[in-house]
Amino acid sequence: MTAWTDHLLIAPIIVPMLAGAAMIVVGDRWRRLTVTLGLLSTSALLLLAIALLGLADAPAVQVYRLGNWPALFGIVLVLDRLSAVMLFLSAVLGLAAFLFSLGRWHRAGVYFHPLFQFQLMGLNGAFLTGDLFNLFVFFEVLLAASYGMALHGSGVARVRAGLHYITINLVASLLFLIGVSVVYGIAGTLNMADLAMRMRSVAAEDRGLLETGLTVLGIAFLAKAAMWPLGFWLSPTYAAASTPAAAILSILSKVGIYAVLRIWLLLFGSAAGASAGFGGTWLLAGGLLTIAYGSISVLATQSLPRLAGASVLISSGTLIAAIGTGRVAVTSGALFYMASSVLAIGALFLLIELVERGREVGADVLAVTREAFGTGEEDEEFGDKDAVGVAIPGTIAILGLAFLTCALLLAGLPPLSGFLAKFAILAPLLAAGEGAVPATTWVLMAALILSGLATVVAMTRAGINVFWASPQNRAPRVGLVEILPVALLLALCAALTVRAGPVMDYMQDAAQALHAPGSYVQGVLAVPPGEPGGGR
Amino acid sequence: MELIVSVGIGVLAGSGVWLLLRPRTFQVIVGLALLSYAVNLFIFSTGGLRTGAAAILAPGEVGSVTQYADPLPQALVLTAIVIGFATTALLLVVLLATRGLTGTDHVDGRERER
Amino acid sequence: MPEGLLLALVGLPFLGAVLAGMLPTAARDTASGLAGAVALIGLGLVWAAYPTVAAGGVLRAEFAWMPTLGLNLVLRMDGFAWLFAGLVTGIGALVVLYARYYMSSEDPVPRFFSFLLAFMGAMIGLVISGNLVQLAFFWELTSLFSFLLIGYWHHTAAARDGARMALTITAAGGLALFAGVLVLGHIVGSYDLDAVLAAGDRIREHPLYLPALLLIVLGALTKSAQFPFHFWLPHAMAAPTPVSAYLHSATLVKAGVFLLARLWPVMAGTDAWAWTVGLAGLITLLLGAYIAIFQNDLKGLLAYSTISHLGLITLLLGLKSELALVAAVFHIINHAAFKCSLFMAAGIIDHETGTRDMRRLSGLNHAMPFTARLALVAAAAMAGVPLLNGFLSKEMFFAEALSAGAPASPLLNVLPLAATVASAFSVAYSLRFIHGTFFGPEPVDLPRTPHEPAGWMRLPVELLVLACIMVGVLPAATIGPYLALAVRAILGQDVPDYSLAVWHGFNIPLLMSLVALAGGVALYLILQRQLNSREEGPPLIRRIEGRRIFERAMVFLSWRLARRLEGLAGTRRLQPQLRVIVSIALLAGVATAWLRGVGPGNIASSPVDPVLALIWAIGATFALGTAWMAKYHRLAAVMLLGGTGLVVCVTFVWFSAPDLALTQLTVEVVTTVLLVLGLRWLPKRFQIAGKQGPEILTRTRRLRDLAIAAGTGSGLAALSYAVMTRTPPDLLARPFLERAYVEGGGTNVVNVILVDFRGFDTLGEIFVVATVALTTYALLRRFRPAPDSVEIPEQQRDQGGGALHADKERPAAGWLLVPSTLTRLLFPVMLTMAMFLLLRGHDLPGGGFAAGMVVAIAVILQYMIGGTDWTEDRLRLRPQLWVGSGLLVAAGTGLAACLFGEPFLTSYFAYLELPVIGKVPTASALIFDIGVFCLVVGATLLMLVALAHQSVRSHRAAPRPPAPLAARRKTVAPVEREG
Repeated sequence: MTAWTDHLLIAPIIVPMLAGAAMIVVGDRWRRLTVTLGLLSTSALLLLAIALLGLADAPAVQVYRLGNWPALFGIVLVLDRLSAVMLFLSAVLGLAAFLFSLGRWHRAGVYFHPLFQFQLMGLNGAFLTGDLFNLFVFFEVLLAASYGMALHGSGVARVRAGLHYITINLVASLLFLIGVSVVYGIAGTLNMADLAMRMRSVAAEDRGLLETGLTVLGIAFLAKAAMWPLGFWLSPTYAAASTPAAAILSILSKVGIYAVLRIWLLLFGSAAGASAGFGGTWLLAGGLLTIAYGSISVLATQSLPRLAGASVLISSGTLIAAIGTGRVAVTSGALFYMASSVLAIGALFLLIELVERGREVGADVLAVTREAFGTGEEDEEFGDKDAVGVAIPGTIAILGLAFLTCALLLAGLPPLSGFLAKFAILAPLLAAGEGAVPATTWVLMAALILSGLATVVAMTRAGINVFWASPQNRAPRVGLVEILPVALLLALCAALTVRAGPVMDYMQDAAQALHAPGSYVQGVLAVPPGEPGGGR
Repeated sequence: MELIVSVGIGVLAGSGVWLLLRPRTFQVIVGLALLSYAVNLFIFSTGGLRTGAAAILAPGEVGSVTQYADPLPQALVLTAIVIGFATTALLLVVLLATRGLTGTDHVDGRERER
Repeated sequence: MPEGLLLALVGLPFLGAVLAGMLPTAARDTASGLAGAVALIGLGLVWAAYPTVAAGGVLRAEFAWMPTLGLNLVLRMDGFAWLFAGLVTGIGALVVLYARYYMSSEDPVPRFFSFLLAFMGAMIGLVISGNLVQLAFFWELTSLFSFLLIGYWHHTAAARDGARMALTITAAGGLALFAGVLVLGHIVGSYDLDAVLAAGDRIREHPLYLPALLLIVLGALTKSAQFPFHFWLPHAMAAPTPVSAYLHSATLVKAGVFLLARLWPVMAGTDAWAWTVGLAGLITLLLGAYIAIFQNDLKGLLAYSTISHLGLITLLLGLKSELALVAAVFHIINHAAFKCSLFMAAGIIDHETGTRDMRRLSGLNHAMPFTARLALVAAAAMAGVPLLNGFLSKEMFFAEALSAGAPASPLLNVLPLAATVASAFSVAYSLRFIHGTFFGPEPVDLPRTPHEPAGWMRLPVELLVLACIMVGVLPAATIGPYLALAVRAILGQDVPDYSLAVWHGFNIPLLMSLVALAGGVALYLILQRQLNSREEGPPLIRRIEGRRIFERAMVFLSWRLARRLEGLAGTRRLQPQLRVIVSIALLAGVATAWLRGVGPGNIASSPVDPVLALIWAIGATFALGTAWMAKYHRLAAVMLLGGTGLVVCVTFVWFSAPDLALTQLTVEVVTTVLLVLGLRWLPKRFQIAGKQGPEILTRTRRLRDLAIAAGTGSGLAALSYAVMTRTPPDLLARPFLERAYVEGGGTNVVNVILVDFRGFDTLGEIFVVATVALTTYALLRRFRPAPDSVEIPEQQRDQGGGALHADKERPAAGWLLVPSTLTRLLFPVMLTMAMFLLLRGHDLPGGGFAAGMVVAIAVILQYMIGGTDWTEDRLRLRPQLWVGSGLLVAAGTGLAACLFGEPFLTSYFAYLELPVIGKVPTASALIFDIGVFCLVVGATLLMLVALAHQSVRSHRAAPRPPAPLAARRKTVAPVEREG
């Protein structure tokens, strides 16, 4: 452990950590300096993430032993493809949200920037750590920061939603603690890899107890992943949160998904002896219900922010269900889907504020109710002047294009990665060679496609109300620094579409490794060179 | 011993959950405090209960599980206590803000209409 | 060569679309020129492909996209695709030319042409797709761009609704098609078109054939506006007329029949196919023709006639006969020609007269004779008058109707009759189109005075009409080879022999035609009065209008029902959510333990100690008391809570965890202070004396909560007992105990774990504390008390104005004299103690956190006794600085290791003798602990002080909480900072 490159693994945690701490010392007086720090940190994170994507693309996992203690009782950071992908996504969203916040949001209250940095630190830590309790700690870091971000700017709606958000997450954290301590009490370890090893050798009379603990743990994760019926907190919180916070939150809900992916596949994979595949059907069912509820609330929603929140539910549900099928190919499709949907939803959250600027409050409601009661002015005489199109201001045109793109991505319609993602989930589901297709496959397929249809309907309704029906008398004032992040995120989706093949290969390797965690376990538990018996 | 402690944990958790489900913010925060006591004790207890075996080594000593209480759960509990303290403080401030901005101390920020 | 050609064929339109989109809104000629050029180049490319295709070859180009999933970009052009590509580009070019003159000069046409080109590209991509998934891909693209085209004049409600309806239906169909394609791919094992076309029998025998068929047919029928999905098409005519001409003739609606024909060899020939496709076609044929007669809008009439003619094509495809397929393909071409010209003619009339209402139009023959002639010929072709192309394909249709082996007898018997009736209808509406518009009396009060349009605008119509005549007169010489080409591409070798002659001698089909002609004329004459009446829509089924039903259904499904369900399946209130989460966690845990079984523990439970039992009896009472008191007697609840905390402390001490006890104690104190500070802002709540108990609803709810609480409690108790009474074979504790001193350099193992073995946890933890502190601070800057808690509480008023801020110069005169003196004496003592705890932490109970808490307590004591202002006059606190530096020190310690090439947080230690304190471990861990200390001091003070300040700040009360609606929406413009 001497080469500086070895420290690449921990850099994604250290960089925002130091940046945030420095920002506190600097204080809000010298905002320019703070902003510079933030810009440096976020862009550095993106570069790091790209580097780590490359580093992780190897058969063996990268391990970083904190305090140079052997993995058995020290805390380790583990980098595999999944972690790398998550790091990349959080870095991208981080940069986008940061840039966006420079428009106006970072002046909405004190200490926005340090909180933002800690948010990123928490995310990266959660994606990297290989220790169950350390995962809890980083969950708390990112949650604490997200509380701050969600409440940033204060105001009735935010505080009201924040109260629910915090309370529910506190309960979830308590469940998390219970689960972890049961795991320690029974298996006697906190290291995930070590735990995976011990899963096989747990005494028969203890196994049930261990699984109970892990179930409680799973409930905590699923509550954070907003699985129905644990996820009602999500839409109001996201709708109320300040825009950059909302954009970050769009990956926050995926942390729960990540935890499920990691822990469930590690502990209950095919190698887990008597516990193999434990609870898979429940994941599948829960995911399907979540998709259903998400589709319903996508349709039932009146305001754009809530619509975005509902689509977060749909994507969470899709991922949970896909994981629940417990098949490698499907998982890789799900990873592709996750990348696409996280970027799209982040972009949508940013976009919504820009769109809603310069629209009078409650316009959506009016429009929707007008439709609901079918007050048809559609029978009007098609006058002569109507045969002339109206020019659309440049800003609106750009916003409209971006909105259309988001809609396509979320609904899974061509030509963008959303379609490919759904295909990547569905194709392997059906391509299971000969033999009858299980009923669950049909249900999942129907759920995916119908949720897409629901999104189309809702998005069309919203888009038509916003961009076509309401007279665009004055274009909203949108700064370049605000539209740029949206463009960045959508451009990444386009890149996903064009380079779908290579990306898919990466995801397939990631899924392979997740479903056959042997290399992960060995990589972590291997005694590092020059350390006979570990230690120093 | 184990029996007493587990019953104690149960009582703390029970009253905590009861308060958690009440409509007033103050009840909820107190309930959460009780729950975190219960959970802290729970974590602590997973290491087994030992009397007079505090994990304080003599200088130069290589300790062993047989003579000392398991220190790890204690460390975990310490972390949990601190985090619990912080979040409780935050929740308190948020509920004050809610109360201030909405005028009510109902958890939904508005009195339940019935 | 094929790669380049095909790629250019698909790519150019999209490229052109992007370019056109970037043009300024006024660049009318540039945009149209660009579009025309693209279309013509496309046509040229198609023509360039002719030699290969004519030789029976297939142009094929494959590009890797998602190879592992069997999705590649495969471009494949055989005769059939070639024919369609030719139609799309050729008619596209004509439409562009027409649109250049049709669209008003103020219209921002670049956008229009951009959409049009993109649509053309999607359509080309669809017809030359060699991969079914890719076909579905372009299929949805056509839906998307047609949506944009139909909604081009989006300032009119008609355009918006038409566009939305079109998108909803075609996109839904597209999704069905996508699903069907996936199933087909599952059957065949590949999405490649060649592979699929080669697996006909396998597909038809497969158990999943029916679902695949239904899904794909669903896609095709929605796209081709077949019954019962026909109603979206007439409303799509809200689009500019050039678009209608394009969509109706060569492109969008033809995509459906294209798909049916494409998959005909592998999927047709079964009863299921014949029933679904054939029946839908038959109904649409009749229904469309019938409704068309009664349309008053020129474009409406044409739209329904399109529906009817597509029904004819679909019906032909539904019959089990190769000849029928030939007829279908032939009619696709013919219909494209005459329908496009008719729409253009209708557009010209609309453009020149300003109306399309046939009740207002008449006698235009004088005003625009040439247009009248063109329209006459085209309409005649539509009506199937001999010597025009429409006649030929209709004769074939009649022949098939007579001979085709329909699936079941009833359909078979009804076919000839239905065919005759339908074609009589078509004669009638064609007649109405011509007669109602061009003949009869001079028109009165038209919006504009009609005259012939610009020659260029008429040119496309002329060309198309010319085509109609040429094909009608010399079919074999003109269209023959191309038709043969297309048909061979579909049917392969077994192409039946058919003759494209005008004259087949006197036979039944000819008779049917004559009957139909006569019947149509008669029908039109009979209906004269009816048609000129003001009443809209066809008789008998006037009430049943597709669009209304659709709108109603949509509003119900996508709005009312959805909202109701959301209300049922979701909640926005906190209590139910918590209830659900807790119960689910409980149930899941219990279920797992129950189902998977839990054996006995492996260590015996130790005997009960009465003292501890007593302590816990008290503790339990406290806990229950807290639960009881928390509603009405908050202060009491806080005290009881503290008591419970103390019991927990004692338990920690009892079971040899001094560090925990210490920390718990300090945390206890600070939490209590916080809560007490908070109480001041909460509303007063009194138990109204003599009030009856809560009503039934509440009582039941409470009972349920009680059950949940009891369940959770006992569940957790059982779980903890089970875990306590068993110990794993190998504990993680072992290495810690062994190495704590030897390698960690501390005798207090817990502390060594915290700052060294698992220092990373502690690092994370202090960042949590810091984050929370900052958040609370930020939140409290915006703190607004509720109106009813602004004024000083009576407790303070009783003490004469409140010592907190009334008299700051005489802080403690006579008020709490003794305690204040004591606390001030205590202050240095506590600080020393904190130092002591901090330094010895590594070896004995203590450590940075406890030390920090002690300091914080010491300071807050000063606040409580001396009052805010008095304290801050004498004590310069900069909590933020403490927080920041603490974090930096802690992180820096970890980072220092990296400088020495060690991993983050690697610790270094040595012992050194200090005069007074004695042997002090100067592990780098100690510096780390100092960081923790600073952070804790800073963070705790930040929170406490910020909270304490609220009572000194002069508050303006919060405004009344706004209306729920506004509350649910995020306030977009953030409030600017305030001091």
